[in-house]
Amino acid sequence: MAKPLIVCRDLSIIYNKGKSNEFKALQGVSTDIFEGEYIILFGPSGCGKSTLMYSIQGSLPPGEGTLLVKGDDVYSYPPAERVYFQRYVMGIIFQQFNLIPSLTVLDNVALPMIFCNTDKTTRNRRAQSLLDRFGVGHVSHKITPMLSGGQQQRVSVARSMINDPKILLADEPTGNLDSVSTQQVMDKIDEINTFDRRTIIMVSHNAAHLSYAHRVYYLKDGHVVREVVNPQRKQIKPVREGETIVTELEQLARLFPYDSVETLRVKSLVNYLTQDYSFDQLVRMEHAISLLIQGKIDRSAFIKSMTLPYERGGVEVDEKEARRMASIAERMINRADDVRRFRARKDNNDIFFSQDKLAERMKEHLTHEYRIKLSKEQNNNMTEIIADRVTGVIEATDMNERMMRGIRSGGLSLSEREADDISRHFEKTIAQGIDVSYK
Amino acid sequence: MRVQDLAQLSTRMFKTNPLRTWLTILGMGVGTAAVVVLVGLGFGLQKIILEQIVFGETLLSLGVSSTGAQGLRLTPETVANFELKDGVLDAAPLARFPALVTYKGLTGNVFVQGVEPPYLRYAGVTASEGEVFEEEDIEDTNSIMLSPATLKLFGIADEDIEGFIGEQVSFRLLVPADDGSEEVNEIIIDKQYTVRGITKEEGTLNVLMMLPELRNYVGIEEYERIQVRVDTNENLPLVEAVLIEEGYRVTALSKTVEQASKIFQGIQAVLATFGGIALIVSAIGMFNTMTVTLLERTKEIGIMRTLGASPNDVKYLFVSESVVVGFMGGVTGILMGVAFGMSINLFLNILASQFGGQAVSLFSFPLDFLTFIALFSAGVGYLTGIFPARRASTLNPLDAIRYE
Repeated sequence: MAKPLIVCRDLSIIYNKGKSNEFKALQGVSTDIFEGEYIILFGPSGCGKSTLMYSIQGSLPPGEGTLLVKGDDVYSYPPAERVYFQRYVMGIIFQQFNLIPSLTVLDNVALPMIFCNTDKTTRNRRAQSLLDRFGVGHVSHKITPMLSGGQQQRVSVARSMINDPKILLADEPTGNLDSVSTQQVMDKIDEINTFDRRTIIMVSHNAAHLSYAHRVYYLKDGHVVREVVNPQRKQIKPVREGETIVTELEQLARLFPYDSVETLRVKSLVNYLTQDYSFDQLVRMEHAISLLIQGKIDRSAFIKSMTLPYERGGVEVDEKEARRMASIAERMINRADDVRRFRARKDNNDIFFSQDKLAERMKEHLTHEYRIKLSKEQNNNMTEIIADRVTGVIEATDMNERMMRGIRSGGLSLSEREADDISRHFEKTIAQGIDVSYK
Repeated sequence: MRVQDLAQLSTRMFKTNPLRTWLTILGMGVGTAAVVVLVGLGFGLQKIILEQIVFGETLLSLGVSSTGAQGLRLTPETVANFELKDGVLDAAPLARFPALVTYKGLTGNVFVQGVEPPYLRYAGVTASEGEVFEEEDIEDTNSIMLSPATLKLFGIADEDIEGFIGEQVSFRLLVPADDGSEEVNEIIIDKQYTVRGITKEEGTLNVLMMLPELRNYVGIEEYERIQVRVDTNENLPLVEAVLIEEGYRVTALSKTVEQASKIFQGIQAVLATFGGIALIVSAIGMFNTMTVTLLERTKEIGIMRTLGASPNDVKYLFVSESVVVGFMGGVTGILMGVAFGMSINLFLNILASQFGGQAVSLFSFPLDFLTFIALFSAGVGYLTGIFPARRASTLNPLDAIRYE
């Protein structure tokens, strides 16, 4: 059995020990990280994930416990050897990029080599080739403040690789980046792991990144609360048969990264009781619906992706059911337009604002959907209720209550069941049609 | 870190923060300039005084005269006696007689001094105009040197001194009678002497004549003064002590020079102290700047440390930065100080030539001194940098990197 590259046993780090502001950043943390693994330390801010990373980096001696990198205690090294360790074993990427603004991009990347007495030609050639590799070679002679955030982070990825370190540490590398740059940087880091076979330890609180890692350590209040294996990646850590098995909990953990194991167990059971579909099916269904809402696929494409067998990337729903879903979804999306229009006119204070007409149409749809016959008075009352709800004068519960009220007092005299159905349906429509980019 | 990389990294401030860097250098420069100007003034004054004194043999000579009290007389035997003493190389006498000098019908009282050429060397007699008696002039019977005051007797103005060279004068010696009475015999020298040079002796009416020529007219049994040339500087005080013990009055020019030097060293020290205060003020300013720079760069230090810079790398970076600033300050200060001194010199010289005075250099800047100042200011830079640098190197990289 291969030995782990980094071993932490009962690691504790306490800031300001013995003072009134004593803070236990890490308490009894144990981790094993193997060579070539992609590890994410995940958790909310203040959970101790960065503390653990910097402790592995050699800048933060542990108060208690053992920390071994390649079998050695880094903190027992003499100062010169620790500097050597930080130069050649560890590469680091920061959230704030931490490039030196008074140096050119090329010099920034070459800086770690400057400290290693490498001559100028060698280090510039190496720095330039790394910059080219990470797609920022054309800006090598600019100074760093002239670069975009994404470019700066790619420069700092290049810098971390200049001395060809065994381990790459990344402290929320995409925390300050837009989504496109985030994707680029994550891909480059992934490439360093899969292509260069470097061990990656990343600190993150972005759940979207979890699928990159082999394993994720979830930290909370200085403890490792659980270790989750990514079933999508071939594991490097040797697993003894039966010791740990990949369960639905791992899958759920990626869907709900901030929930505890207990909550996940609850979710698993509730899902089984209420749904006919598995979590995997739900995930795919969500994807298809989102494309439908965005208008990227039409009804037939939607039905096709719903009915396709699971192995071929579909949801594997029978056709009749798929058609039913498609028509409901489509109707709802179409009616949402009325809600949108209604609110748009209201906001613009249009003098030709035909509130009644739109509200009337929404009422027609609703009554048609539930096949209820209403008297003229009831019709008027319902139009009013709908208008009030879409304007925002009343809440969902008020609407429900008004529909059950007597006709004379402005209600519809519906049964509780009917009122619930209608208001639930209408709330879904409003949810589709409402503009939530609050001003 | 290699030296060229260190140089590149530690001169970044000229690009990133040029105004503050140059102001710091200027601050150091002004302090250094104050030292350069004031010490330069000291050097200049010293040089002005010492330039007037002939060096070399003059400084190795003792002037011996009789005190008169113990009946000591300076005779030809005394001269021979002196020459035999340990450490004495040579002794040259001076005989002196009152005389009347006549030039174009004008007559005045002077002293005729009979000397041999070595005496003139030992006593440091030089000519302001014309020529001094040289070794080969010992047999000269036709020429004499006059002191400037003598010319005043004949109503010669200062600016016409030069024209007096080659004029003819005649003498009548006034020699005391042999019998010890108060009587004075007048010996008429019936020939004309040519004036070959004018001495620099102020305030005395002296005529210098070769001793053999004087002997042609008067028997010399007693000398006024003897210049004793001592072989080495170390023997000077020994011979002096011996002579004083024998009852002679001894004067040494070297003593005077030494005293003058001491006085000027004192003056220089005082001037350097004032300059030094200015330098200390600017060094404190620089120290302050370096400390602020440290705070400003805290984050950068943290980054460098996590990227693999050793504490020493960080220290060297800071120290070399402040040495560069200190040295540049020194060079700037030297340039400013020398320029200032030179312009004062120029101004004084223009003034002097306007009013007919002699040109002087009030400021003097020996190269050794300027080199020392340049190195010294680099040293001050080192001292102001070393404490911030030490602090920088001991910073915890993690705290440093989070510093904003």
